[in-house]
Amino acid sequence: MQLKSRTAQPGLGLRRALATAAAGLLAHGEARAQEAPSTIIDSAVLVYHEVGRVQAIEPEVNVTQKIDEDRTLTAGFTADALTGPTPFGAVPSTLAQTYVRPYKIVPLGTPVSVTTPSGGATIVIIPPPTGAKTQVLGASTTVPPNTYPLDHGFHDERVAGNLGWEQALTPTFNIDGGVAYSEEHDYRSESIHVGLSQDFNAHNTTLNAGLNYESDLSFPIGGTPTPLTLMSANWKGPDASLHEVDAVLGVTQVMTRRWLTSLSYSFSDLHGYQSDPYKLISVVDALSGQPTAQLYENRPDSRRKQSLFLENKIHLTSDIVTVGLRGYSDDWGIKSFTADLRYRLQMGADYYVEPHVRYYQQGAADFFHYYLVSGEAMPQYASADTRLAAFHAQTYGAKFGVRLDDNTELNVRVEYYDQHGNGSPTGAIGQLRQQDLFPDLKAYTVLLGFTIGF
Amino acid sequence: MRTSIGVIAVLVTGGIGGCASFGAKPWERDLMAEQAMQLDPYPLETAIDNHIYFSKEASSGGRSFAGGGCGCN
Repeated sequence: MQLKSRTAQPGLGLRRALATAAAGLLAHGEARAQEAPSTIIDSAVLVYHEVGRVQAIEPEVNVTQKIDEDRTLTAGFTADALTGPTPFGAVPSTLAQTYVRPYKIVPLGTPVSVTTPSGGATIVIIPPPTGAKTQVLGASTTVPPNTYPLDHGFHDERVAGNLGWEQALTPTFNIDGGVAYSEEHDYRSESIHVGLSQDFNAHNTTLNAGLNYESDLSFPIGGTPTPLTLMSANWKGPDASLHEVDAVLGVTQVMTRRWLTSLSYSFSDLHGYQSDPYKLISVVDALSGQPTAQLYENRPDSRRKQSLFLENKIHLTSDIVTVGLRGYSDDWGIKSFTADLRYRLQMGADYYVEPHVRYYQQGAADFFHYYLVSGEAMPQYASADTRLAAFHAQTYGAKFGVRLDDNTELNVRVEYYDQHGNGSPTGAIGQLRQQDLFPDLKAYTVLLGFTIGF
Repeated sequence: MRTSIGVIAVLVTGGIGGCASFGAKPWERDLMAEQAMQLDPYPLETAIDNHIYFSKEASSGGRSFAGGGCGCN
């Protein structure tokens, strides 16, 4: 995942014109007016904590270098480390359950000690076939009765970088482009993007368009599983690729001296492997609801996504209100709505506090099932990943910032995220009626940001 | 197809013309020049949020392309 915001920067010309106009005004009216910095270093560290699940820490830095009045170069770097339990996708049971997944391939005869690779999974030796020169080690997790099945072996690290270029070709027409690269121990992504923006109406209106192409390669630990086959520790299929084209069109309008509005339409077309190679879906007995098998999930190879995003910013006497609304739909049957509200309370010239609330709700993918039922026809696509289920989520947070001088800002943000789905679906079978099939997800984030320009 | 392109062209040019009745005069742009009034005043924060929500929810998209590029969803 590129952590650069590959924003199709609308209003670059607009912003430059506004900044120039403001600088002119300030130069005439205030002694503190000064040149915009030619180098800006923007940095952040995220600490992410899910209650009972994934923990992550993620430092990030982005450098913007102004080459001359018309050209700007940007470069960014990100690293992160994630660890902690993550859902298998399987249902809980009144009985203990054991899950074994591939862990490592070693030369035959390598001494193996039975240890815990990460937080509770145990290494087991899979008997090799006759004549094999290597053997597979599996990671075995035993889930206690009435417990939501979590994979305790999850661990990932990622590094990502990006390079970007922006250029004003005329006073009202800008072009930008860039490349991005991201690598995890089981996933790699490369992308290239280009964007255009044109100002009209004395820089009060900006039209922008952007195009992005991304090529991803998935090489899961244990290989790519065959969809809807039984979970096992055996090494599986080859790497799998995914290709994505994204387009965005937007218009930004200065409505009044205090009101800025922006409307964007985005479209994405994805082809290739989009299943989660580690996610399972349980097959349960039609009467008891006890799991009888665990299968690897299967999602369609193609996906088309559309979204419409409207944002309004209003400058009050000194405070700023930002309201964002997004509608989204795709051909997997998912529809979602997002509302985002920020209120920047300016406290004097150098301090601000910004409370933030976000509401999100989504409908389920057509192929989402909490589980499959033994004896019933097997669907073509099936996933029990609750990220594809119907749910709603709220974010509450606040940011505090201090401007240390004209080009330096330090800020800290704390947020809480709470996701609720239906853990007791209608028609649950047997023992599943007493289980929570969608436990709430609660996460805290602390984000420390520091920006300096010179 | 030609008709559709023509209709879109009329709508876009008409829309832009219509937008001319809004706006701020050059001497009224002091507030719009403030960093906090930019569409994306804190791009690193936006990118981090996109990453988190992309990995926990099924939606993506908005003003930018950010959100893809990881095996987290």
